[in-house]
Amino acid sequence: MSELNTLHPDRRLSVRDTFGIDSDLMAPAFGERDEHVPEVDEVYRFDRDTTLAILAGFMRNRRVMVQGHHGTGKSTHVEQVAARLNWPCVRINLDGHISRLDLVGKDAVVLRDGQQVTEFQEGIVPWALQRPVALVFDEYDAGRPDVMFVIQRLLERDGKFTLLDQNRVLAPHPHFRLFATANTVGLGNLNGLYHGAQRLNHAQIDRWNIVATLNYLPAEEEMAIVAARVPALGGEAQHALLRSMVALADLTRKGFAAGDVATLMSPRTVISWAENIEIFRDPAVAFRLSFMNKCDEAERPLVAEYFQRAFDRDLDEAYHLPD
Amino acid sequence: MGEAQQLARRQQQVEELCAGAIRALSGEADLHFRGRRLHRGRQRLPLFAPHLHPVIESDDFASFRGAADGLALRLSLSDAALHASLCPPEPVERLVFELLEQMRVESLAPKALRGVAHNLRHRFEQWSMAFHRARLTDSARGILLYTVAQVCRARVTGEPVLEETEDLMEATRAALAPALGNDLAGLRRQRHDQAAFAAHALAIARLVGELLRSADAEEGEHSGAARTEDDEDSERAAFGLVMELDARVEEGIAAAVSGHSRAFEAAQAQYRVYTGAYDRELAATALARAEVLQEHRHQLDRLLAASGLNLARLSRELKAVLARPVPDGWDSAMEEGRIDGRRLAQLIASPTERRLFRSEHVAAEADCALSFLVDCSGSMKQHIEVLAPLLDLFVRALEQAGVANELLGFSTGAWNGGRARRDWLRAGQPPLPGRLNERCHMVFKDADTRWRRARAGIAALLKGDLFREGLDGEAVDWAVARLQARPETRKLLVVVSDGCPMDGATNLANDAYYLDNHLKQVLQRHERAAQVEICALGVGLDLSPFYSRCQALDLSMPPGHALLRDILQLLARPARR
Repeated sequence: MSELNTLHPDRRLSVRDTFGIDSDLMAPAFGERDEHVPEVDEVYRFDRDTTLAILAGFMRNRRVMVQGHHGTGKSTHVEQVAARLNWPCVRINLDGHISRLDLVGKDAVVLRDGQQVTEFQEGIVPWALQRPVALVFDEYDAGRPDVMFVIQRLLERDGKFTLLDQNRVLAPHPHFRLFATANTVGLGNLNGLYHGAQRLNHAQIDRWNIVATLNYLPAEEEMAIVAARVPALGGEAQHALLRSMVALADLTRKGFAAGDVATLMSPRTVISWAENIEIFRDPAVAFRLSFMNKCDEAERPLVAEYFQRAFDRDLDEAYHLPD
Repeated sequence: MGEAQQLARRQQQVEELCAGAIRALSGEADLHFRGRRLHRGRQRLPLFAPHLHPVIESDDFASFRGAADGLALRLSLSDAALHASLCPPEPVERLVFELLEQMRVESLAPKALRGVAHNLRHRFEQWSMAFHRARLTDSARGILLYTVAQVCRARVTGEPVLEETEDLMEATRAALAPALGNDLAGLRRQRHDQAAFAAHALAIARLVGELLRSADAEEGEHSGAARTEDDEDSERAAFGLVMELDARVEEGIAAAVSGHSRAFEAAQAQYRVYTGAYDRELAATALARAEVLQEHRHQLDRLLAASGLNLARLSRELKAVLARPVPDGWDSAMEEGRIDGRRLAQLIASPTERRLFRSEHVAAEADCALSFLVDCSGSMKQHIEVLAPLLDLFVRALEQAGVANELLGFSTGAWNGGRARRDWLRAGQPPLPGRLNERCHMVFKDADTRWRRARAGIAALLKGDLFREGLDGEAVDWAVARLQARPETRKLLVVVSDGCPMDGATNLANDAYYLDNHLKQVLQRHERAAQVEICALGVGLDLSPFYSRCQALDLSMPPGHALLRDILQLLARPARR
């Protein structure tokens, strides 16, 4: 533990070489890999704007929130940047039941020399605060807004953290970083897609220095991601198939934006569809299993229309004029 | 009638799917079909090209898909302002120019969407074959237009021409080739650049226009006034098929027909009521003696029992559509949540007790008022035996789902104008008198009456002599005003009708579309105000020329769950403005 405390970024990496992004920036990095550093995913592809926003968080100590639809890889994005910088990174999934005590710490009964004693145990926030750790609040908008005020002061740069239970004031480690990911921008579940998303307090939203939006990628990028994940579809022969798959995903997204379908295909769905094609050898069967069966029955004929457009094949769900 | 209703229903299903595909392909959310024409919000879009308008009676579903894809590509890939600025004024030139622009966008269909390219080709072939089979290629003008269309499409898209008619157009093609050669080559080369493409397209359009005019002149010299009727017929048909770019698409049997009313426009769109002295608003129970209502009620109950519709299921589904989750008190004795202070004593008494928490209880609550407004015009009488049990069921289900509901009806007090018309005749028939009948509004069930109390009133729907004529515009105004007086936040009006507003005397004294135009004005006003959502159920009729949210119902078959689902979908569908 004390080891982690002594770590410091001791080298600088070229952003161009490390992330494949056209930029002359040099990013600070750790020389040693601690156990908290996430694994590097070699095929991960970085989105330029989001990566620069996250890097600004690491380099300049800014508080960065990444917002975007599900399955776009928001949390993974932060993790992969940290992995490349060897920056220890801890992810917390927020939900409606995370309380102040979980985050700050609580008195707990422990055994010491055979005696039961009450002792204060630090929560995750004070622990991370004193270490060179990037703390990621996942699903930030699922946390209860009143509880999230715990981190209000931390959102300011050099903001100190007061442990009321112990009359202690903690100063953050100079390499402590804070990130959050969310599906909404704190206005609650406006489109009906993200049940459980809370309306956030705007005094708090205001304190996030950078809000990066990571939405669906251009078709070429998405094809490259799927091809990297599922190498069987990476070949030249499968190019047309892959292109149609991504085009179909795009149709469902536009259909969702127009209010026609309530379910949309995230990049994650496309990847699992591609994986299922490997298993079932038939795009239509795999499509039904990975997406169609998640859709409301009333929407299936329309989804079948989308499929026909992309693949020129009729699914069983497609509408037929009676003879 | 049954067949017409089925066709209307089918038309609507196909349009829903096509509109959904168009929205997804073009990325524009406010596109939808109204009266078989594509609209963007309230604005009607041009027809674009003749092959984009298949008809449900004769074309297959793949044709509809092709037409939808063509429309979507046109909207997303063509700059409408540039196109309009270049469009030539003469009808023939304009037709060719529109057609070429359409072919340009069709040739640009994304490669990733294989099905789109196939649909487009299929639709064009079907249209070509229909053109050919209708013997429109027999006339000189027909074959010229046909050949230009075929050759140009083959050039722009790089697909071969239709094999079946290749020989037929050989001669025309050979004659055209030298004059068109240059521009044809330009079409394919410039298809990514709308302005450069338009230059070639315009040149081709002009050439075709000149050829047609010279053909006309020649024909005139040869045969003079002695043109046979046969010729004229086929010509009209040809132009009907290809040239009505500004006119409406030919109406099928089932779309509501409407037009412009001079009388209404002359009065600066001010609706006039000649006299309101005989207008009545009645509670339905006052319409008949209690014994008669009792008998109707028994009949209604029998019909309902015979239909076998499931009340509990409908109520559940209505709740899912109309209710929103709201916090409603607390659930105590939970294993997690917030500590419930009242249970702490229990913890001391029994330390192993874990159910010490309480959590917020969320209940689905429908803060919503829904009115049914039933058109009680003469033609509705034949549907009422199916409709009345359905409405009765909905009233009960809505009540169970906690939705305030009303059942209203409108008719007239007399046929042919009644006393209002007599007054008008006595006054010497002043011109444009406005509405000329005794308006009759009926309340079968109001929102404050429970279904149990309103049973007899609802049964009055089955009383045959209520059904006379209809003044839809005034009735919608009335129903909306009643809804606006309700405290609920969401307000829905469902109009059930099988036709346009109809009142013989008013139409005779003003003109045929006077009431139509008033209805449109009323709906437009309320849709803009957006305080009350108005939807319409068309009994065997597509009401989309009037209502932006409507659903055609097929009542010729015994009502089943599919019918209920159609109505639920209408309630759930978002309004497209």
